[in-house]
Amino acid sequence: MRRGTAAERVIPAPLVASSRQRRLLAGDRIFQGLALASAILILLIAAIFMVALFLPALPAIRRFGLGFFVTRTWDPVRQIFGALPALYGTLVTSAIGIVIAFPIGLGAALFLAEEARLGFLRGPLSFAVELLAGIPSVVIGLWAFFILTPLMRDNVDPFLRQTLGFLPLFQGTANGYGYLTAGVVLAIMVLPIMVALSRDVIRAVPRALREASLALGATKAETIWSVILPYARVGITGAVLLSLGRALGETIAVTMVIGNRPVIAASLFSSGYTLPSVLANEFTEAVGPLYQGSLFYLGLVLVLITIAVNVLARVLVWRFSGSEPASL
Amino acid sequence: MKSVLVALSAGAALLLTACGGSPTGTNPSTGGAGVPTPPAASLTGAGATFPAPFYSAAFYAYNQKFSQVTVNYQSVGSGAGIQQLTKKTVDFGASDVPMSSTELAAAGGADNVVQIATTLGTESLAYNLSGVSNGQVRLTPDTIAGIFLGKIKKWNDPALAADNSGVSLPSQAITVVHRSDGSGTTYIFTDYLSNVSADWKSGPGKGKSVNWPVGQGAKGNEAVATTIKQTPGAIGYVELAYVLQTGMTQASLKNKDGSFVIPSEAGATAAAKQFPDVTPAQFSIVNAPGKDSAPITGYSWLMVYKDEADKTKGTALVDMLYWLVTDGQQYGSNTHYAKLPSNMVNNDIVALKTVTSAGSALLSVPAPS
Amino acid sequence: MSRLLTRVLLDRFVSALIVLSVMLAAIPVLVLLLFVLIKGLPGMLAPGFFTSPPHPVGVPGGGVFNAIIGTLEIVGIGSLLAVPFGTLVGIFLSEYGRNRIGDTVRFVSDVLTGLPSIAFGIFGYTVLVATLHHFSAVSASVALAVLMLPVVLRATETALVLVPQSMREAGLALGAPRWRVTIEVIVPAALGGIVTGALLAMARAAGETAPLLFTALGNDFTQVDPLQPMGALALTVFKNALLPYSDLQDQAWAAALLLVLMVAVTNILARVYVRRIQR
Repeated sequence: MRRGTAAERVIPAPLVASSRQRRLLAGDRIFQGLALASAILILLIAAIFMVALFLPALPAIRRFGLGFFVTRTWDPVRQIFGALPALYGTLVTSAIGIVIAFPIGLGAALFLAEEARLGFLRGPLSFAVELLAGIPSVVIGLWAFFILTPLMRDNVDPFLRQTLGFLPLFQGTANGYGYLTAGVVLAIMVLPIMVALSRDVIRAVPRALREASLALGATKAETIWSVILPYARVGITGAVLLSLGRALGETIAVTMVIGNRPVIAASLFSSGYTLPSVLANEFTEAVGPLYQGSLFYLGLVLVLITIAVNVLARVLVWRFSGSEPASL
Repeated sequence: MKSVLVALSAGAALLLTACGGSPTGTNPSTGGAGVPTPPAASLTGAGATFPAPFYSAAFYAYNQKFSQVTVNYQSVGSGAGIQQLTKKTVDFGASDVPMSSTELAAAGGADNVVQIATTLGTESLAYNLSGVSNGQVRLTPDTIAGIFLGKIKKWNDPALAADNSGVSLPSQAITVVHRSDGSGTTYIFTDYLSNVSADWKSGPGKGKSVNWPVGQGAKGNEAVATTIKQTPGAIGYVELAYVLQTGMTQASLKNKDGSFVIPSEAGATAAAKQFPDVTPAQFSIVNAPGKDSAPITGYSWLMVYKDEADKTKGTALVDMLYWLVTDGQQYGSNTHYAKLPSNMVNNDIVALKTVTSAGSALLSVPAPS
Repeated sequence: MSRLLTRVLLDRFVSALIVLSVMLAAIPVLVLLLFVLIKGLPGMLAPGFFTSPPHPVGVPGGGVFNAIIGTLEIVGIGSLLAVPFGTLVGIFLSEYGRNRIGDTVRFVSDVLTGLPSIAFGIFGYTVLVATLHHFSAVSASVALAVLMLPVVLRATETALVLVPQSMREAGLALGAPRWRVTIEVIVPAALGGIVTGALLAMARAAGETAPLLFTALGNDFTQVDPLQPMGALALTVFKNALLPYSDLQDQAWAAALLLVLMVAVTNILARVYVRRIQR
């Protein structure tokens, strides 16, 4: 790496007195053209991306239309394909993930942004969150399959059945695989996003507001509740939506614990299926245009949902902080 | 790099020792007479998980024997094997069910594809019950169908108790484990169930993927076995090799003649003997008569295109397959598969001799007598 | 008085809740890493783990040599595609992109960032594997490159925008053409951010499994030809985890540990590099 001040590095001497203006302009044009071409190429790639999903999906779109979304059957033998079980599983597991990750993530974010006491913990905690964000999904899946599943089956699920068993959500037998376990896995996976984004949003709350509230005699808790959270509400909503976007599309770790069965069950202990899991399991083996088309149709739905959620999230976070959320 | 070679040869030595004890007694380093030496090639195959332990041992040994050839086999399920062959993304597909007429049409017609049986296997119903040992649970066609239809929900159900006097079955919920991917193992199992249970036939039916009334899915024989091992109270259908290699417990099954057998290689051979005229179109050998027959038995198949565009690769492919159905069978015995009956081996060789490239046959061995 | 007490107690309670949630957030990380370390180390120390390809069940001495090579090669080719290309798009965005095309590219790149990783696998399969009729490492590289692109280009843009405007003006005032100012002044000044972006993108790509399932497929032999199917560490973890054989499961844990180490080292490198540049 070359060192030196900006001025020293700026311009090689011979160019200063150059008279070859036209050639230089041509160089500029070529360079700009190259940059523009690469920018257009990425748009092209994105277009190919969508076409590559849409075209093979056509047979299924023609055959099932919008009824695809309300059909509960996924039966390759009788060639009837409906997205509802996978759609339901995706939404339920993501919802569980967010419900668990939201309070924990918000609390951790408040700690990082607000809490003055125990400040020495801030560095290690930030590091831990970044570390978690970097752990590959297949590693989390491996851990969930061998460690979390038995824990859920032998401890968490029986406890929930005993205490909350009057709710249909917590009835039935639990073998450790299913919506709830997948939801817990998703909670772990979206936690870093929740924490990092909420922390940034909370930090963006003007200092004057905080100090005014404290000066008026409000406690820390009251300041958080009536000043910081209302101010950061929109941004935190954006953070939740970005986490949701990640949860909806998570594939490998969920596939390893969801139980992989195209059913809709009220009990969270039940096995289910999610959109990405269906794709991971069945994509290479779908025989015939209709089965294959249905999988592409599922993929298309998944992609459109995540795009919608992400765009909404980015608009919210953007509107709040005036800056782009970091790519996670 | 050197250490790689050392490790490789150490592995080979161990494998050789293992093979020395095999019933055939053939030493793979010299090979049987008449196994053609293949040209250099990297072959890719995908498909069934049912024969995967056999294939992975055999292809590893083939590479030890002929280092110029690697055979990369990925066990992704029979459905995927057929689909990827149709899409021509692999050099061979593997499936426990030969291709159906619809599938053959998608691949350019029955005349375009050669299908050979490569091994004979049988399915076990493996269970995870503490205190109940191997073979102790006795299952009949009715109770198997009842469990997989979700009608029998607990291990101490009266229907089970009737056949299992003397065994203390716990009051534990039954967790059914089935395949989540398109699977020939599933086909053979549901073919069997459709044979023995009218409710099953009119309900889920037979196929590589069916609409399971109960249970949970796992990808591949491997994951079904792992999930059963992980889950107390679980039962599922897996190929025998997975049960024996991992020390799982399996049920005794009541066969067509009414005798209870623990699935084994011998049981598979006995069942196959009852059906001497198996062809890719007429392949079902489940629910075989005979007192020793294992009831849920099937051949595993392998498919290649009849016309190979790349002559070198095509030659390596048929040479390797010839070895697989002849000398290579010993690696099946080591991994708990039954040897192919000699009539099936002959059918395979005849079929392989029809594989051509630019009109000329690729396999240069004499036709079987 | 009692009202004040309630308020103080409530404040303490909220503080306690916050500390509790911090612990709840940190525990999974620690537990996860601890398990990966404890369960992964024995497999990693087993003979042949680093130096030999997988062996069939019952033949000891197998390893993940094929997968290490595969991960390095697949991610390497992906980076060769994504990094120069993404950097160029980033330059476009920062230097020429204050217009509708620039906004469209930014939007599209954000959309790509949020897409599920399995979608990139489907893309790679449809566009390359199904048309070329072969599973291959290079199709996996392309899928990963598309996944890496948005990270690289946004990092590049952010880094370039941070370069003081005065440096551009100084260069131009000296009579240098804009492209030379960009390449010789602006990009070197922003190199820290660009390299960090590239390293973070590589770290993410190395850990991905879903895009490889339908493209690289996996290979139990050591393969270096990018046009052939290839193994990768993430695939080893996914496949071996589901195998019922304990020695191969140990190998899955060890491969997971190796993968985590590789990703962590890349991440740390990125951060160290930034710090050195910033100094």
